[in-house]
Amino acid sequence: MSFVEITKLVKSFGPEVAVAGIDLSVEQGEFVTLLGPSGCGKTTTLRCIAGLEHPDSGDIQIEGDYVTSATNDVFLTPEERNLGMVFQSYAVWPHMTVFDNVAYGLRIRRETRAAIKEKTTKALNLVGLGHLAERYATKLSGGQRQRVALARAIVYNPKVVLFDEPLSNLDAKLREQMRIELTRLQHDVGITSIYVTHDQTEALVMSDRVVVMDKGVIQQIGDPETIYAEPTNAFVANFIGVANLMEGKLLGHDGELTEIEIPLGDGSAPIRLRATGAEGAPVDAKIILSIRPEDILLHLEKPADASNLIEGEVIDTVYLGNFLDCQVQVGPHEVGVQIDHFEELDLGQKVYLSFTPDHGLCLTE
Amino acid sequence: MTDNNYLQVDYLVKYFGDDRAVDGISFGIPEGKFLTLLGPSGCGKTTTLMCIAGLHKPDAGEIRIGADPVTSMEKSINIAPEKRNIGMVFQSYAIWPHMDVTQNVAYPLEIRNMAQSEIDDRVAEALKIVGLTDMADKNATQLSGGQQQRAALARAMVFRPRLLLFDEPLSNLDLKLREQMRVELKRIQHEIGITSIYVTHDQAEALVMSDEIIVMSKGNIEQSGGPHAIYARPVNKFVSDFIGVANLTEGRIVGNGGAGTGTIEIAQGGEDVQLPCLLADGLAEGDDAYLSVRPENVNASRKPVDGPRIEGEVIQSVFLGNCLDCRVKWGEFEWKVLAHSRERLRVGEKVYVSLDPDHTLAVKP
Amino acid sequence: MTTDTASPHIDVAPPRGWRTWFTQENLITTVVGIIVAVAVFLPLIALVINSFLVLDDLGFDTEWGLQNYREVFQGRVIRKALVNTALISTGCTILATLLGVSLAWVNARTNCPFREQLEPFNLIPFFLSPFVGAIAWHNLASPKVGLLNNMAKSIFGISFPLFNVNNLWGVIWVTGIFFAPLVYLFVVGSLRRMDPSLEDSARTTGAGLLRTTMTITLPLVTPAILSGAIIVFVTTAGEFGVPFKLSAPFGWETLTTQIFTKAVGDDANHYLGAAMSMVVGVVTAFFIWIQHRIIAPRAYTTVTGKGFRPNLIDLGGWKWLAFGYNVFYVCVAVILPIICLLFVSLHKIWSGSVIWSELTFWNYQKVLFFWWPESIDAATNGIINSFILAFGGASIAMVLAIIVSYMIHRTKGFGSKMLDFLSVIPIGFPGIVLAMGVLVTYIKTPIYATLWILLLGYITRFFPYGQRNISSIMMAVSEELDQSSRMAGASWLTTLRRITIPLLKPGIFAGWILLFVIFLRELSISIILYSVGTETLSVGVYYLSNFENEPMTAALSIAQTVALLICVVIFRKVAGKEALTA
Ligand SMILES: Nc1ncnc2c1ncn2[C@@H]1O[C@H](COP(=O)(O)OP(=O)(O)OP(=O)(O)O)[C@@H](O)[C@H]1O
Ligand SMILES: Nc1ncnc2c1ncn2[C@@H]1O[C@H](COP(=O)(O)OP(=O)(O)OP(=O)(O)O)[C@@H](O)[C@H]1O
Ligand SMILES: [Mg+2]
Ligand SMILES: [Mg+2]
Repeated sequence: MSFVEITKLVKSFGPEVAVAGIDLSVEQGEFVTLLGPSGCGKTTTLRCIAGLEHPDSGDIQIEGDYVTSATNDVFLTPEERNLGMVFQSYAVWPHMTVFDNVAYGLRIRRETRAAIKEKTTKALNLVGLGHLAERYATKLSGGQRQRVALARAIVYNPKVVLFDEPLSNLDAKLREQMRIELTRLQHDVGITSIYVTHDQTEALVMSDRVVVMDKGVIQQIGDPETIYAEPTNAFVANFIGVANLMEGKLLGHDGELTEIEIPLGDGSAPIRLRATGAEGAPVDAKIILSIRPEDILLHLEKPADASNLIEGEVIDTVYLGNFLDCQVQVGPHEVGVQIDHFEELDLGQKVYLSFTPDHGLCLTE
Repeated sequence: MTDNNYLQVDYLVKYFGDDRAVDGISFGIPEGKFLTLLGPSGCGKTTTLMCIAGLHKPDAGEIRIGADPVTSMEKSINIAPEKRNIGMVFQSYAIWPHMDVTQNVAYPLEIRNMAQSEIDDRVAEALKIVGLTDMADKNATQLSGGQQQRAALARAMVFRPRLLLFDEPLSNLDLKLREQMRVELKRIQHEIGITSIYVTHDQAEALVMSDEIIVMSKGNIEQSGGPHAIYARPVNKFVSDFIGVANLTEGRIVGNGGAGTGTIEIAQGGEDVQLPCLLADGLAEGDDAYLSVRPENVNASRKPVDGPRIEGEVIQSVFLGNCLDCRVKWGEFEWKVLAHSRERLRVGEKVYVSLDPDHTLAVKP
Repeated sequence: MTTDTASPHIDVAPPRGWRTWFTQENLITTVVGIIVAVAVFLPLIALVINSFLVLDDLGFDTEWGLQNYREVFQGRVIRKALVNTALISTGCTILATLLGVSLAWVNARTNCPFREQLEPFNLIPFFLSPFVGAIAWHNLASPKVGLLNNMAKSIFGISFPLFNVNNLWGVIWVTGIFFAPLVYLFVVGSLRRMDPSLEDSARTTGAGLLRTTMTITLPLVTPAILSGAIIVFVTTAGEFGVPFKLSAPFGWETLTTQIFTKAVGDDANHYLGAAMSMVVGVVTAFFIWIQHRIIAPRAYTTVTGKGFRPNLIDLGGWKWLAFGYNVFYVCVAVILPIICLLFVSLHKIWSGSVIWSELTFWNYQKVLFFWWPESIDAATNGIINSFILAFGGASIAMVLAIIVSYMIHRTKGFGSKMLDFLSVIPIGFPGIVLAMGVLVTYIKTPIYATLWILLLGYITRFFPYGQRNISSIMMAVSEELDQSSRMAGASWLTTLRRITIPLLKPGIFAGWILLFVIFLRELSISIILYSVGTETLSVGVYYLSNFENEPMTAALSIAQTVALLICVVIFRKVAGKEALTA
C-alpha cells in the first residue's frame, strides 16, 4: 500500500467530465508531477486530494486512511486532512506579517509559543526568508511571496504538500531559479509532494515521476528520462519536448530494429527507414515515427554513407541564439531540425537529413 | 550613418525632469527592414519609440523618415503624431472595445475619408493577412489575446503607413502563444514589407524576429548588429550577459595573436589559466577584460583534454529533455555547461572543462 | 556587421523655467482648477469668517470673537444637540455596519437561496430618501398614530405602544437601515473580488470554516468595512431630515436641526449657524481625510491567479435563516415603509389605522395637479423645480466631471494634482454645512432666492460623485487606446469624439442618473437655500409635514419614491448589475 493511493477518481462539472477515472499511487517522500495541457483536469485532481472539491466517485487514501471514499461514504474536510497546499496566486494573507502567515497553521494546532517561534523561524530560514519575518506580505516580491507560501505549507509537517502551478506567476529567470531551489528543499525535507504544472521543462527538472494527463485521463507515468526517451503514444511524444511525427507503415523487424516506410504523397516514392520500437506489431501495421529535432543531422551535400537519409527543402529558419531551428519540407511533412552551430541557409535550399536508427521511435496507436 | 537609411534618428535626447531617459542616441534603418530596440526595463526604449511616433517631444535631435524630417529640434519642427503616417501596436493591444473588429480596422481609413468600397477591400485584405477573416464581425472583447493583437496589427498597417512601431506587443500573451506569434509577426512583416521598429526586453524575441538589433542600456546604445553578430560576438560584458546565457569571469589580455585573436588569463582559487580567445574591437594586451563563453560552447568530459586544464566538480545536473543543464565548480567560479542529455553527468563527478576557442571571447568590462 | 556606437555626449540642459511650464495642458488645467477651487473654497472660507463674527444683542451689528463657539460647546441647547449628533452617528454607524457586512457576506459568500433576486432590493434604500423613510416610520411606529402599534393593539390587545421611534433610538434605527447599503456596497465588491485561494489555503492549513471566516475573510475586508463605516458616520452627522421628522419635535435636537433654525426663520443667526457648521465640517472632513489617506490605500489589492472561481460556503439548513434575515431587512427598509405611506396617503385624515371605506386619491390631486387652483404650491412647485434642478444639475455636473477627470488622468500638468485634491474636498462636508457656506457667501448677490443658488450648491457638493464614476473608467481604459487613434491619423478632437467619449459612455450615463437621483431627493442643501417659489420636492414634503397633514405628506413622498424607483430601474439597465459594487 502506497502512501497516497487514488483509485478510480471521477469528477464532473455539469455535463463536463473534468477527471475521468484516475488511478495513481505516490510513495512516501516522492515528488510526483501531474503534467498536461490546460483544462485536462490536473487542478481538479489536486483539489480532490485536498478536499476542496467533492469527487463524484472514487477513493483517496492517505497513509492507509480513507480521506475520500464514495463507496464508504467518507469525506474529510480540508482542515481534517493535514495537508499543505501552495497556490499559483501565492495566496499569502496580506493582513499578516510573514511570521504570522507561517505560524498560522501552528497556532491552529495549539502548539506552545516557544514551539511556534522555533518551528516558524526554522521554516523561514529554510526558504531563506529569516530576515524578513516582520515584514508585511504586501511588501514582498513575487518570488518571496511564493517562498512564504511554501514555508506556510510545510511548517506544521503535513503528510503531503500539494502544489498548483506555484511558479507560473513568476518571470522566466526567477522561475528557473525557484525550480532548482524547490527541488533541493523537497529533497532536504523529504516531504511527499504532488505538483501540478503545464510546463514540461518544470516537470522534467523537478520530479521523481511524471504523470502525463490529457482530457481527464492518465496517458503515461514514468521518470523524466523514460517519459522523454520512450513516450508510449503520440500525445506524450509531442507534449514532452518537441517531436516530429510522421505516419507510416511497418515493413518488418530486423533484430533490434524496425523497418518502416513513410509515404510522401502523390507522385513521390515513399522513403524507407530503420528505427526502433513497435516490437510486437505485425507487418503492415500503421505506425507513427517520432524523432526529436536535436537527433536529426542536417547535411548540405548528400553524405556518402549515411543510411536513413531524407531529402527535403528548407522552408523556414529561426535563430534562437544557442541553436538554429530549421523547418524542412519533406513531402507533406514539415520536419523540425535543431542545429547547434550557426549556418547560413537559404529558403528553398535543398538539404539532406539523417538520423541513427535508435533515435527514431515507432509508436503504435 | 548612411544616407540610404529610410529612417534616421540623430543625436536624440529626451529628459524627464532631470532624468536623461534617452541620452543622445543615433541610428538608422534601411527600407523594409525589421529593427529591434532591446534592453532592460527603463533603458529608454519606449521613450525612443514615442519620440519617433511623435507622442513625446524630444529635447534635442532629429528624426527623418525618407527625405523629410518629422522632428528636428534645431529647426523647431515637430509634426503631430496623426500627420506622420506611422502605424503603432501597443502592449495592451489597445483594441477599442466599443467597436467590432471591422470597425476597428476601418477607422484609420475613415479618418482619411476613403470611399466605402475601397475601405471594405482594404479591411478585408488586412484581416486576411493577419488571419482574422472569420472574426470580422466579432466584438473586440470576444477575441483572445493573440487575436486582439492581430487585430491591432491589422489596424496599424491597413493605411499603409511609412513605418510600423511595436511596443512589446507580445508581452501580455502566455508563453506558447508568444512563441507562435513571434514567427507569425515576422512572417507578416516580411509579406507586407513595411519598415518596422520593435521594442522588447525579451532577448529571445529579438533574436528570432530582427534583421538588426540595437542593444540599449541607460539611454545609450551598447551595441548594434545582426542577431547572430550580437549573440556570437558581444562587445562588452553588458551585452554578453543580457543576450542569452554566458559564462563571464574577470581576466586580463596577456597576448595578441593578430587578426582579432589573443590570449586571456583568468585566475580562480590560486590557479591561473591562459586561454586562446577572440578579442573584441579595441582590446589590447594588458587590458582588463571579461572572458565570455556560451554554455553550449563549454565542454565537460570525464577524460582530460589537451590544452589548458580546468578541473572541476559537477554540482548540478538538471535534465531538460533535449539537454542537461550542468554547473561545474572550479574554485569560486561555476561553469554553466549545456551537455547532451545522453552524457548523463552526475552530481559529484570530477570533470575536465574545455572551451571552444572559436567561441571564446574576450569582451570589454 | 557589428558596430560599437558609444553615443557622443550631446550637450543639452534639462528643460527648465517658466517657458516649459507654460504649456497648453498646464494652462487649461490651471484655469479649470481655479474655477473649481473658487466654487469649493469660497463657501468654506466664508463659513470660517462668519463663524468668528458675533452678533450683538440688538441683532444689528457684529464684532470679531469666539462667542459663537462658546455657545456651541457651552450653551445648554446646542451642547445637547452636539451630544445627540455624536450618539446618533455612532449608533447608526454600528447598526449600518452590522447590517451591511452581514448582508454582503450572505449575498457574496454563501449559498443563501434567491440571493441574486434579493441583491437589487438590498440596494434600493441607497436610492430612496431617508427623510421619506423617517416619515414612513413615524407613521408605522410612533406611539399615537403608529400603524404597527395600533395593529398590535387590535390584534394582540397590547394596550401600551409597542414601538416608539420619536427619540434617538428611532433616528438610529431609520438612518441605520437606510445607510446600510453604503457599507454593503463597499464590502460586497471586496468579498467578490477576493482570491478564493486565500481562504482555500487557510482550510488546507487546518482552519475550519468559522475560523477561516473570522481570521482570514473578515480581516481581509476590514479596510472596506472601515471605509463604509466612515462614510456612514459622516453622512449621518450631516443628516437633517430624519432627526427633524422623528426626534426634534420631541425634544431631541441635533446639530443639523439647530443649524436649520439658525439659517431660516425668526430665530436666524447665520454667524452662530456658521460656527455650528464649522464644528460638524471639521469633524467630518477629518474622518474623510483618514479614510482617504490611511484606510483606502490599505485596501488589499487582490491578486487573482488563473482559475478564479468564487467558492460559496454551504450553510446547510441555516441558509433559510440567512434568507429570512435578508427578507426581513428588505421588509423593514423598503416594503413596510412604502406600503404604510401608500395607506396613509389614501386617507383624508390618518388616525393610525386603515379605514377601507374612506380610501381616496384626493391627496394626490392636492399635491400633483399643479394646474388645479386648489393644489398646494409648495408641493407642485417642488416637483417642477426638482426635475429642472435634477436634469440641469446632473448634466452640468457631468460635463464638469468629464473635464476634470480628463485633466486628472490624461494631462500631467501641475493642475492635475490640484484638481484631484479639490474634487475630494466637497465629499468631506455634509450638504447642510456646505449649504450654510453657500448661503453666507451669496446672500447679498442676485442669485440668492433663485434656482441658481440651489444649482450651485448641488453641483459643488455632488460633482465629485460623477467625477469618480468617470475616473474609475478612465483609469481602466488605457491611454494607449487614445494614442492608437492618434497614430491612426485622428486629431486630438476627433479622438475625443470618436474614442474617448464613447468609451466613457456607460460611466457618463451611470453617473448622470446617480446625480439625478441624488438631486431629486436632496433635502439638506435645499432646506437652507430655498425661498418661496424655489421649493424642491423634498422641501415640499417638509412643508406638507410641517404645515399640512400626514396623508398629504405621504402622497408627495410616494410620488417622489415612484420617481426614484423608476430611476433605479433605468440605472440598472444602463449601468449593469455590477456598476455600484465593482
Ligand atoms: N468549478 C468548476 N466549475 C465548472 N467547471 C470546472 C470547474 N473547475 C474545473 N472545471 C472544468 O473542468 C476541466 C478541468 O479543469 P482543471 O482546472 O482541473 O484543469 P487544469 O488541468 O488544472 O488546467 P490549467 O492548466 O488551465 O489550470 C476544465 O474543462 C474546466 O473548465
Ligand atoms: N512620462 C514619464 N514621466 C517621467 N519619467 C518617465 C516617463 N516615461 C518614462 N520615464 C522614465 O524614463 C526612463 C525610460 O523609460 P522607458 O519607458 O523609455 O523605458 P523602457 O526601456 O521602455 O522600459 P520598459 O521595458 O520597462 O518598458 C525610465 O527611467 C522611466 O522611469
Ligand atoms: Mg489548473
Ligand atoms: Mg517600455
